[in-house]
Amino acid sequence: MINVLIVMAHYLGDNFGLAIIALTIIVNLLMLQLTLKQIRSTKAMQELQPRLSELQQKYSKDRQKLAQEQMRLYKESGVKPAGCAITMIIQFPVWIALYRAVMLSLAAAPEGLLNLSKYLYSWPVLYAALPLSQDFLGMNLADPNLILAILVGATMWLQQKMSMTTPTDPKQRQQSQMMLWMMPLLFAFLALSFPSGLSLYWAATSIVRIILQYQVTGWGGIAREAGKETEKDKKYVKFVGQAERKSTDEVGADIVVTSDEQQRRDQGLGYPEKPSKMRYLPGKDRTRHRRKK
Amino acid sequence: MPFKQGKWRTGRLLLLAVMLLVVGLVTSGCVEGLQSIGWSGGAVSDGSLFVGSKEGRLVAVNLADESRQWAEPLKETGQTGGFLGSCAPAYGGGCGTGASGVAIYGTPVVYGDRVYIGGYNGKVYSYNVSSLQMDDVYPPEGYLEPIVGGGVAAQDTVYFGCSDGKVYALDAADLIWKWEFETGDKIWSTPAISDGALYIGSFDKKLYALNTADGSKVWEFETEGAIISTPLVHNGTVYIGSFDRHFYAVDTATGKQIWQFPAEEDEYRPDNWFWAEPVVYDNTIYAGCLDNKVYALRADTGAKVAEFDLGSPVSSSPVVVDGSIIFASRDGAVYAIDTGLGALKLLAEIGGEIYGPLSASEGVVYIHTQDLTMHRVSVTTGAVFRPISLESKD
Repeated sequence: MINVLIVMAHYLGDNFGLAIIALTIIVNLLMLQLTLKQIRSTKAMQELQPRLSELQQKYSKDRQKLAQEQMRLYKESGVKPAGCAITMIIQFPVWIALYRAVMLSLAAAPEGLLNLSKYLYSWPVLYAALPLSQDFLGMNLADPNLILAILVGATMWLQQKMSMTTPTDPKQRQQSQMMLWMMPLLFAFLALSFPSGLSLYWAATSIVRIILQYQVTGWGGIAREAGKETEKDKKYVKFVGQAERKSTDEVGADIVVTSDEQQRRDQGLGYPEKPSKMRYLPGKDRTRHRRKK
Repeated sequence: MPFKQGKWRTGRLLLLAVMLLVVGLVTSGCVEGLQSIGWSGGAVSDGSLFVGSKEGRLVAVNLADESRQWAEPLKETGQTGGFLGSCAPAYGGGCGTGASGVAIYGTPVVYGDRVYIGGYNGKVYSYNVSSLQMDDVYPPEGYLEPIVGGGVAAQDTVYFGCSDGKVYALDAADLIWKWEFETGDKIWSTPAISDGALYIGSFDKKLYALNTADGSKVWEFETEGAIISTPLVHNGTVYIGSFDRHFYAVDTATGKQIWQFPAEEDEYRPDNWFWAEPVVYDNTIYAGCLDNKVYALRADTGAKVAEFDLGSPVSSSPVVVDGSIIFASRDGAVYAIDTGLGALKLLAEIGGEIYGPLSASEGVVYIHTQDLTMHRVSVTTGAVFRPISLESKD
């Protein structure tokens, strides 16, 4: 990756900044499937939030039941809660390799330039291209830069905000808020300690992910917080509203039925006094059963 | 395994992922070669050896009794940042490298009763040889760009190259500016002076010949790669290696190429940069290369006489002692090339990384390794003497 980065810089007019951006885009394109999978997984988690909240309210006193229902919901919807985190962990080695390539190619210190020599292939273009020019848009990529550090924090915050779910549980909401601010602040602080070439790589990565995130989910968490309704949100609100307005006789919501209750119904044993979860198929006459009581 | 509380599990995984990423970035950011530490060589004068230590101090070692004297530490630019104490190399910082001062790369220059050094903080200092009291500094206010190469002194003038691409000529008595000459890119090499002309290489791929009196350009010679090596002047010819993996001989009077190694028609190419200063002995040039080899070339034609494989990159400049050319490879091995037999002999293994130039006095080679230690090896016997620590007790 170091050699590729250097060759790209050479053919982009000896511009190392452009080479960093270009290589970041290329690497992200190569990992596009993984990234999209992660974004879609996160989006699916967001869509499950209201139903998860319902389950939590319904089974707040029965943790085991809650866990079972949650697991069944995940299974039915095909969502893996840890999927997005695992996808991120898979991508880590690539990000770190790209990060090291940027740091080593920058060769800001004399030791860095000397050290870089042992990573070079026998391509003539490499030897003539080094050392790379560190100027980019008036910045020295070997020095920390405050503007880039702020950009790193801002883009990371934006990307996280777009992908963030909004848990109803206060503890989880607090944790989400902490994560939303902690990582961008941490990376912005780190960016002030490292050469700005690295900050450029971080910011470029965040911007690419923001674009991909927007393609899949729109503005996501930002739109929700601003009160704007996306098409999907509108549909869901209507669905909930209609369900709430309907009487219990007309409700056609998906409710999971346990096997023993299905058996009771099949056997014509009627329903227990306190109705538990039952699946009502469209067209079935529930009223007739009630009247019998 | 069922997810009892899927959200909590996800949150913990994400937190773990973030922590792993931060640790990975921080630790891989603090890796070899990314911090400026320094690799000053030693300058021997009147029984003392002067060297810039990794603590950012000039150290004088009495070669007779091994006593040491330290000057005051060089001052940093003050532009550090971040809780890592600045991994930004420009400020001489480091991530837990053990080096806490301004990096000193150039070998000190002893001239008269003064010794001069340039720091990575962009200042040139002069000290009294006896007391190591700082006499003068240039510039008196502010800082230049980092100074990586060493200096040279002649005709009451001290000459330094700087990362701002300029060659500075300063009055040796008080470091008052005399003239400067600007090249197209950074200068990390040490100049060489001969017969009123100063020769220096630049990252703009050119070798310059300047008039030492006023800094006017006499000629320039262009290669295809950056030049960091110190030029060697011998019998009207300047010898210089380049990042384009070629070694050149240039006429001092006209700036025209006399020969290059390898020649155009040769298919063979050294595999890496020429970094170390070459030496000449008995009409043969010995040039170390980062492809682990030392090339012995005829000084008049550039024909390869021999090549010696040292097993590790050669970045430190060699010395000639009693008919032997002493080279050091980066992995800490010291070799002697017997010029009579044309044979390579392993002299000693001192166990530390060697980046900086060698120095020699009275049959002893002095090697400054990257661990604040000055090693000594006898050229005659290969005996390794007790190393001298350059660490101050403050």
